[in-house]
Amino acid sequence: MKRLLAAMVLAAAAIPMFAGVAGLPAPGDAGSPAHTGVAARYVEHGVRETGAQNLVTGVLLNYRAYDTFGEVMVIFAALAAVSAVLSRGPAQPGSGAARQQVEISPVVAFVIRLTAPFIAIFGVMIILKGHLAPGGGFQGGVILGALLVLLSVVLGRGLERPLVPEPAARWLQAAGPLAFAVVGLFGLACAGTLLSYPPGPGADMLRAAMMLVLELGIGIGSAAIILWLFLQMRGE
Amino acid sequence: MSAWLPLAAFVPLVAGALTSALARRRPRLAQGWALAAAAWTLLAATVLTRRLFLEGPFSYAMGGWAAPWGIELRFDAWSAASLFIALIMLAVLVYSGPYARDEIESRRLPWYYSLLLLNLGGMVGFACAGDLFNLFVFMELVSVSSYALVAVGGGRIAALAAFKYLLAGAVSSALVLFCIGVLHALTGSLNMADVALRLAEIDSRGPVVLALAGLSAGFMLKAALFPLHLWLPDAHAAAPCPVSAVLSALVVKIGIIGLLRTHAVFAGVEGLPMAAFGQVLAWLGALAIVAGALFALFQDDIKLMLAYSTVSNIGYIVLGLGLANHAAMTGAGIHVLNHAIIKATLFLAAGAIIHQTGSRTLRELRGVGRMMPWSALAVSIGALSIAGLPPTAGFLGKWYIALGAFAAGQPGFAAVLLLGALLIFAYYIRILNAFYFRAPIDDNMRSVREAPLPMLLPILFLAALCILGGLFGRWPVALVAPAVERLAGGG
Amino acid sequence: MGAALQNLDYFAFVILFCIGLHTLVARPNLLKKLLGLNIMETAVFAFIVTSGMVDRGAAPIVDGGATGPFASPLPQALILTGIVVAVSISALALALIIEIYRQCGTIEADELKGAG
Repeated sequence: MKRLLAAMVLAAAAIPMFAGVAGLPAPGDAGSPAHTGVAARYVEHGVRETGAQNLVTGVLLNYRAYDTFGEVMVIFAALAAVSAVLSRGPAQPGSGAARQQVEISPVVAFVIRLTAPFIAIFGVMIILKGHLAPGGGFQGGVILGALLVLLSVVLGRGLERPLVPEPAARWLQAAGPLAFAVVGLFGLACAGTLLSYPPGPGADMLRAAMMLVLELGIGIGSAAIILWLFLQMRGE
Repeated sequence: MSAWLPLAAFVPLVAGALTSALARRRPRLAQGWALAAAAWTLLAATVLTRRLFLEGPFSYAMGGWAAPWGIELRFDAWSAASLFIALIMLAVLVYSGPYARDEIESRRLPWYYSLLLLNLGGMVGFACAGDLFNLFVFMELVSVSSYALVAVGGGRIAALAAFKYLLAGAVSSALVLFCIGVLHALTGSLNMADVALRLAEIDSRGPVVLALAGLSAGFMLKAALFPLHLWLPDAHAAAPCPVSAVLSALVVKIGIIGLLRTHAVFAGVEGLPMAAFGQVLAWLGALAIVAGALFALFQDDIKLMLAYSTVSNIGYIVLGLGLANHAAMTGAGIHVLNHAIIKATLFLAAGAIIHQTGSRTLRELRGVGRMMPWSALAVSIGALSIAGLPPTAGFLGKWYIALGAFAAGQPGFAAVLLLGALLIFAYYIRILNAFYFRAPIDDNMRSVREAPLPMLLPILFLAALCILGGLFGRWPVALVAPAVERLAGGG
Repeated sequence: MGAALQNLDYFAFVILFCIGLHTLVARPNLLKKLLGLNIMETAVFAFIVTSGMVDRGAAPIVDGGATGPFASPLPQALILTGIVVAVSISALALALIIEIYRQCGTIEADELKGAG
C-alpha cells in the first residue's frame, strides 16, 4: 500500500516534469530567453555599472543585493533555529565528561596546525578577490568556517571554552546583517534608495569599498555561524 | 522616494539578527527589543496602507535599478495584509512575556524572540515582493523560522512535528524553486509583472502548464490544503501557544498569498485551463471544509481541534479563490484577514487557559469558565466568530463566498459552506459546554486564577477586533475590492 | 521529438529530482529522508545553472582578454542563494534529528510512529 502511494506520488511529479521540461528552449543556445532577457544587460554593462569584473558578484551585490540580504538572513535564521532547538539549560558540569572523547591522532593534529594558516589565507583571498575572480563572501566564509571547525576539533574546546569567546561570537554572527544594514543605509543616504551605490565614474573607489564591506561582512558572518552550528550540534 | 516600503521588512530582520547579541548580558532586553521592532513594523505598515488607500498600488526599485533588472517591491491590496501581520505579531510578542518565561528554557529565550522577528520580517517581505526569486527567499525565511519555532518549546512531540513540517515545507520549496527556474528559462526574467508579459507571447504550452501546476502545488502544500494538510495538525498543536497563533493565523496564509501571486503571473496567458483549475481548487476547498470540521469534531485536545479548524478555514478561502468570481474572491480575501484575527484570539486564549491549568483536553478543562472568565469569554467570542454568526468578523467572508457560489451557478458549494458552519458550531458548542456548564473533574480547578495582564490584554484586544471586524465590515471589503477587481476580471 | 532530445540535460536532472523524492518518501530513516531532500535540491540547482549555460561559452568574468558568448550570470547568482538556503534547511533538519534522537532514542520513522 505504501509502495503504491509512493509510486503514485512519484508518477504525479515525474510525468508533468518530463513533459514540461521537454518543451523548454535547449540549454546552451545563446539565443534562448535566458540570455536575451534580463541577463543581456548584466553581461553588456555589468562591469561598467557595478565595478565588478566577476559578473556573478555584480549581480549578487549590486543588481540583486536584496536577495543576498535575504540569503544572509536565512543563514542567520539557521543559526537561530539550531540554537533554539538544541540549547539546553545551565550546562551540567559532568556532561562534558559523558561525551565520548575520541583521541585525535597526533598526525592529524599536526597536519591541521601546519596547514591552518594557508587555509586561512586562501579563505581570505577568496573573499577579497570575489569581485575579480570566481569567489565571494559566502564561498570564502565557508572555507574559513570549515577551518574554524577543524581547529575547534583539534584544539579540543567545546561550548564551555569556544574558539571565539562568546560576546565577540554573538556580534560576529550578526556581521552579515550588520554589514548590509550599514551599507544599505549609507546607500540610502547617498544615492536615495536602499542598498544602492553612488552613481557616476568618480565614485568607483567608494563602490568598490562598499562591495568589500559587504563581502567581508558576509564572509565573517558565515564563518562564525558555521563554527557555531558545529559547536551547537556537538554540544553537550 | 520614500523608503518606508523597503524598510518595513528590513528593520525587523536586522533587529532579529541583533537580538541575541544585545540580549546576552540582560535577557529581559530581548522581549523589549522585539516589541520595539514589531511596533516600528506596525507603524510602517500603517503608513504604507494609508498611502495605498490614497494613491493606489505603488512600487519601489531596490538598489535604484528599475524593474526588471533590479528587484522590485510592490505594495498592493494583498500586501496590505502586512498590517494584520504586524498587529497580530505585536499581540503575540506582548503575550509572550509571561508565557515564554514559564514555558521556554532561559537559554533559548533570546533566540525565540529573534526567530519571531525574522518570521515577521520574512512575512512582510513576502507580502511586498514583486520579484519571483525574492518571493522565494522570503518564503524560505518564514519557513525556516517557523520550523524552529515549533520545536523551541522542547519535547519529543514538538521535535517530531517540526521535522515533519520541515520535510513537507522543503519539498514544496524545492518545487517552487524548480518552477521559478522553468519560468526563467522561458522568459529570461524574474520580475513578476515582466514574466507575465513575456509569458503571453510564448508558443510552447508544456513548460507553462508545468510551471503553473508546480507553483500551485507548492503553495497548496504550504497552505495545507486538503489532502496536503497532513503536516499541519501536529505542528500547530505541538508548538508553544503564541507560536501556534502565529502559524495558524499568519504563516499558513503565505501559501494563499503565493497562490494569488501565481495566478496573477499566469492570468494573461491564453489557452491555459484556468476554469478547470479553478474547479479543482473549489472542490479541494470544499473537501477541506468538511474534512477539517469532521476531524476537529472528534478531537479531545483543544489545540488539535483548533489546528483542524484551520484546515477547514483554509478550505473556505480556497473555495472562494476557486470559484473565481467577484463576490467569492472578495469573501476569500476578507476571510484571510478575519480568520487571522479569530484564530489568533482562539489560540492565545486557549493558550492562557492551558498555561494556567496545565491541561489541554476538554475533559480536564471542564468548569474553567468560572475560574478564568475573561479567557473563556475570549474563547466564546472566537467560537462564535469562527462559526460565522452575524455580528462577528467570521460572518462576512463566508457570506460573500456563499454569494459567489450562487453567482457561479454552483449552489452545492453554498450547501457545503452551511454544512461546514454547522459542524464548526457543533464542536465549539462542545467547548463552551465543557467550559461553562460542566463541573470540574477534580479540585485542582478551584485554585486556577485568571491569566496575568500581559497575556490578557492581547487576548481581549483581539477578541474586540473579532466583534469590531464584523460591525465595521465595510473596511476590509473596501481594502480587498480593488485587488479583486483586477483579478476577477480575467477569471 | 528531436527537439526534445536536445534537452537531455534537463531530463537527467528531472530523474535526479525523482530519485531524491523517492528517497524522501520511501525510506524510513530520517537521515536518509534528509539526504533525499538534498538530492532534490541539488537537482533543482543543476537544472537552473544549466539553463544559463552557453555551448562553448566563457564564464561570466569580464577581464581584459575574455570575449565571446558569456554564460548568463543570473542563474549562477540564483543558485548561490539557493545553496545557502538549502544549507540552512539541512542544518536545522540535522539539529532536529539530533534532538529527536536524544528524546526518542531512534531515528527510524516506523519506530517513531509508535513512540510519538
